[in-house]
Amino acid sequence: MSDIRQAITPETLLARVAKAERAALAALFESEAGRLLAVARRIVRRSDLAEEVVQETFVAVWQRAGQFDPARGSARGWLTTMVRNRALNLLRDGGRLEFHDATTLEAMSAREHDAVSAFQTLPDSEGLKHCLEQLDEPKRRAVLLTYVVGMSNGEVAERLAVPLGTAKSWIRRSIAALQECLR
Amino acid sequence: MSAAFDEQVGDYVLGLLDGADLAAFEAQLDRDPGLAERVAMLRGRMQALDDTVIPADVPSGLWKRIEAELEPTAALAPASRAQMRQQSWLLAASIVIAAGIGFVAGQQFSKPAQPVVIAVLVSDDATPGAIVEAFANNSVHIVPLEAFDVPAGKVLEVWTKPNEEIGAVSLGRFAQSQEIVLDGATLPLPQAGQLYEITLEDAPGSPTGKPTGPILAKGLARSPI
Repeated sequence: MSDIRQAITPETLLARVAKAERAALAALFESEAGRLLAVARRIVRRSDLAEEVVQETFVAVWQRAGQFDPARGSARGWLTTMVRNRALNLLRDGGRLEFHDATTLEAMSAREHDAVSAFQTLPDSEGLKHCLEQLDEPKRRAVLLTYVVGMSNGEVAERLAVPLGTAKSWIRRSIAALQECLR
Repeated sequence: MSAAFDEQVGDYVLGLLDGADLAAFEAQLDRDPGLAERVAMLRGRMQALDDTVIPADVPSGLWKRIEAELEPTAALAPASRAQMRQQSWLLAASIVIAAGIGFVAGQQFSKPAQPVVIAVLVSDDATPGAIVEAFANNSVHIVPLEAFDVPAGKVLEVWTKPNEEIGAVSLGRFAQSQEIVLDGATLPLPQAGQLYEITLEDAPGSPTGKPTGPILAKGLARSPI
């Protein structure tokens, strides 16, 4: 049974969702929801908000599965992008988030811990890990804090105790170096 | 122009772009396959970090909540012509009301998080004139990128054309080039490819309920992913 399910790729499921097959959306939810909840949770920091993000995402998938373009990446990646975009919107939209505690040292270091452990958990075979290792430690940290947990430039600057302009240029130059290295 | 967008690939993938920068970048993505490829490449690689998560327990009620929200899309299935005509009448009635309140109620207030579609409206000389974000609750968020000249006694009116049968529908008017959220009109959920435009009309708005003045900027909607 589980073998059969694994044989159905998310790409196939998305194609069926595009034909308004509700069972395909349910199967996609079953295989991806846990991962997507955890991705959202790293950014929004609260289970209820992460659930809201995943709920919105699957409703959007139902409406727009037909727009998925396999030439632009995998189906799982498409879902990840949708979840990340919504989670980041929620985070940046401030008003919705009672985020006072996010500015506390404890919450900041929990976010930092998640960001760094994502890097450490990357398999050695992953080219990105090798390329991140090429960056100086604080610059790597700036990229991870921005990407993995969605810190703003200002938060990264505060966390790394550097001026805002320095944080911005570290991130920009590091990403350029990563793009070069990943080529 | 293209080099500037290239430099923003990292910011875009890291989620650091917002507002007009984000909309302009995404509009460029649709036009520039090379740029889209660079985004897809970096994004695909960075997602290895997202994939390091330990999947969370999925609460039992979550799927039910999603399923409950899927119902309205049934209404989006192609309607019969008779149904469409009936909808047009209902729409006409609601547009009269919306047009009445659109001007007064048009004001700046916080907008819902995720637009259903975004359109970059381009003027005759191909420069971006405004960005329109349309939301599921019918509201539209307008960000002018160019100061439109609005002579005394004139207003800017925002239009969309959900389909040929319904034709152009006014989403509201505003008096000067400024960022604004309009209530919009009760319409089917906006779709990618839907036309949006801004015309210059005599105050308080088009006398016929259809665009009559010159088109200042127009463009087709895209859905953010």
